[in-house]
Amino acid sequence: MTASFSRRDFLRWASAGAGAATVGATVWQLGHGTSSPAGLAAPDTTAARAAAGSSTTAARRSPRAAASSGEPAPAATGELGDRRLVVIELNGGNDGLSTLVPYGVGAYYDLRTATAVDAENVISLDDEFGFHENLRRLSDRGIAAVQGVGSHTPDGSHFEMLRRWWAGDPDGNVGYDSGFLGRLADAIGDPAAAAVALSIGSGTSPALISRKVSTLALPNADAVGYLTGASSDDAIRSAFQQGFRRLTANSAEGVIGRLRDIGRQTSTFAATLASMRTEGDDAVEYPGSTLGNGLRLAADLVSSDNGVRIVHLPMGSDFDTHEGHLDRHAYLLDELDAAVDAFLGDLDRRGLSDRVLVMTTSEFGRRAGDKGANGLDHGTASTAMMFGPVNAGRYAAHPSLTSLDENDNLVATVGLDSYYATVAEGWFGVPASELFDSAPELIPGLFA
Amino acid sequence: MADNALLAHVLRRLTFSSSNHAVEAAGEIDATELVERLLAAAPVQPDDPELGTDDDYSVLIRWWLNTMANPDAAVHERMVWFWHGHLTSSLDKAEPALMLRQHRLLREHALGNFRELLQAITIDAAMLTWLDGNYSHAWGPNENYAREVMELFALGRGNYSEADVRAGAYLLSGWYVDDENANEVIFDPEDGPQEARDFLGRSAGSVTEVIDAICDHEACAPYIAGKLYEHFVGHPPDDDVRGALAEEFRSSGLDITTLVGAVVRHPSFLEGRMNRPRTPVEFFLAAQAVLETRLEHWVLEPMGQVPFRPPNVAGWPGTARWLTAGAVFTKVQLAYDSSWDTVTIESDDPVSEVLSKANLFEVSDDTRAALDAAIRGIEARRDRSTVLHGLVVSSPEFSIA
Repeated sequence: MTASFSRRDFLRWASAGAGAATVGATVWQLGHGTSSPAGLAAPDTTAARAAAGSSTTAARRSPRAAASSGEPAPAATGELGDRRLVVIELNGGNDGLSTLVPYGVGAYYDLRTATAVDAENVISLDDEFGFHENLRRLSDRGIAAVQGVGSHTPDGSHFEMLRRWWAGDPDGNVGYDSGFLGRLADAIGDPAAAAVALSIGSGTSPALISRKVSTLALPNADAVGYLTGASSDDAIRSAFQQGFRRLTANSAEGVIGRLRDIGRQTSTFAATLASMRTEGDDAVEYPGSTLGNGLRLAADLVSSDNGVRIVHLPMGSDFDTHEGHLDRHAYLLDELDAAVDAFLGDLDRRGLSDRVLVMTTSEFGRRAGDKGANGLDHGTASTAMMFGPVNAGRYAAHPSLTSLDENDNLVATVGLDSYYATVAEGWFGVPASELFDSAPELIPGLFA
Repeated sequence: MADNALLAHVLRRLTFSSSNHAVEAAGEIDATELVERLLAAAPVQPDDPELGTDDDYSVLIRWWLNTMANPDAAVHERMVWFWHGHLTSSLDKAEPALMLRQHRLLREHALGNFRELLQAITIDAAMLTWLDGNYSHAWGPNENYAREVMELFALGRGNYSEADVRAGAYLLSGWYVDDENANEVIFDPEDGPQEARDFLGRSAGSVTEVIDAICDHEACAPYIAGKLYEHFVGHPPDDDVRGALAEEFRSSGLDITTLVGAVVRHPSFLEGRMNRPRTPVEFFLAAQAVLETRLEHWVLEPMGQVPFRPPNVAGWPGTARWLTAGAVFTKVQLAYDSSWDTVTIESDDPVSEVLSKANLFEVSDDTRAALDAAIRGIEARRDRSTVLHGLVVSSPEFSIA
């Protein structure tokens, strides 16, 4: 991206709403410790990397450190080293029962008298289950549906369950000092890379808190032109870019030092990103949704050799269907279907289909029954999905629709750590023991 | 000689206008006097914006930003902003007219009584819309508001049970926003609770009794005290301070003015200098003041903080979010693009002048050296002004509250 990025472009981008709530992956975390007079912890300390919002300074454990501190991660070589992961966060709590519909299980229509998906609107997989018809394109490509993913000690709070998903901590009792994607990035990434995991158009991404490699968030694709690429005959832009590098050149104490560190890191990343963008051709048309725009950039990122291995894309807070569930959920699935289908088509065209795995996460599902209302309250276990080089089908046991928990919720059959660990080991060859304290069981059969 | 750096700290935290004019206006008084002056300042009273066009979202957002930028706006305006980020609602679900009505409610109660504020906002039209109280029936009550009012608005997690959530949802049912009648909020007894239920360890039968039970809960005063302290001081209080503030708040009958006064008169308020980043709205208003040009409010979207549009019910996340590379990208874009429109500095010492205009009275030697170096070789005053304004707004110091 060497061309100047005009105000007009920025306006167009902003008015298109590409990135509703943006800014910054969690690269450094503010500490609340009393160790620093300025009220800020130094960036290298464990406290500084502690998850924001934690109310305790009790020991945060690190499985890597616990296992064998100091030893480098096994180098991923050959094919494993070429693999990439795209994680789409379905914020708000995606209803599993409307995604993979138990249309042949009688209890489903008893539980859902106002919000059930009609059997005729289901793409049947077998006598009992089928995908919502708005997942037609992805269903044709092949979806691996992992059923009953969640926590065995679920919580009804979005924010508590998001924290657990981000950390990879299903019961919220390990207290990792990093995010799952950050730990995975540590295990597979190059510490010299400008960014191993990248969030696009996201807010803060505690999922990406790492300990060794860099992870970043990008507000939009064109931001880099401000920090790099000024030609020498453009005196003002050159002075600005050189001046910014000088402002952030030297390390220092306290919050000033932190801001300089981040400024330097941003300049480095801008230079790297400027060299890796493949200028957009229009061979594949993406939908104009936030997710479509994010996946278009993700396709660039995963197709060049730049060190980026993981791309994280929050889709927005729309899946919280307390009201008008049927229409809203159908609309959202269609948006997901269209954007991911375009992305997979783009990868086909680039010859990268066998290298990029797409997975969904969501903090929880919805309440099993609707009590006759047109919306669904917070639930527990849900169906997660994977697309791309994965064996299509249903995995793990579907939660019972008749044996619910004390809050009338589905009982999870698979911990979210098992779901993550299966991807880490099955796709990247990273053993679960390196990423989790919880010794998750792997889900068999997903990968060839 | 007043300590300009300390006065600037007080202004950065208790107002939204931290231009040099503000320090000059503070005059020859010390920081504790300035705190008292800003606490006692009368609320600004903006006329309603003109809604009813196809640009209501922008009109509303711009209107509030202009109100915040009013040089007379002080602690009251900060508290309106605090409550909006705490007792959230959003344009994503509630239309502009309802958000304006809720905003008026926040202005009325911002320094009033917390119990009255919570009672009022529980049956506010925008809140009923945002958290699905609207048309919640006792026979199938919606749990959204019942959960969030305890988890996020007043008590914190761990201080209520799932049974309390269910009982609360039942007791809060029966309210709706009549969109055929000027969005009047109406209670329909037939759809509301038909009996009292156990809620937070007592019997409750109405919205009033639910909110009373929440406000009387032992976790309420410390929870609010902790949130307010963190807002003004920059980090959460330790347990002793939290306890003392909570006791003062509780014994005042949950009087918000009492709590705010106790927080900003606490020694840690003046000690907490430069300990947190500016949030985007703070950064935006400060940049607008130093650049002396009207900034387009849409830049707040990629920066991640648009008034009237919190990202979710928990409001905007903590300060760590603004200390990231993503935030640097957006700030640099804003600084560079806007620097072309700023004033021309005629002074022979333009670096000092722009720093002073930005209320930066204690910059590092490195920053000053970088600014000096940047204008070396640039002769035209206009071009120097552009580069200096862009770089000062991009400097690490300017990103700190």
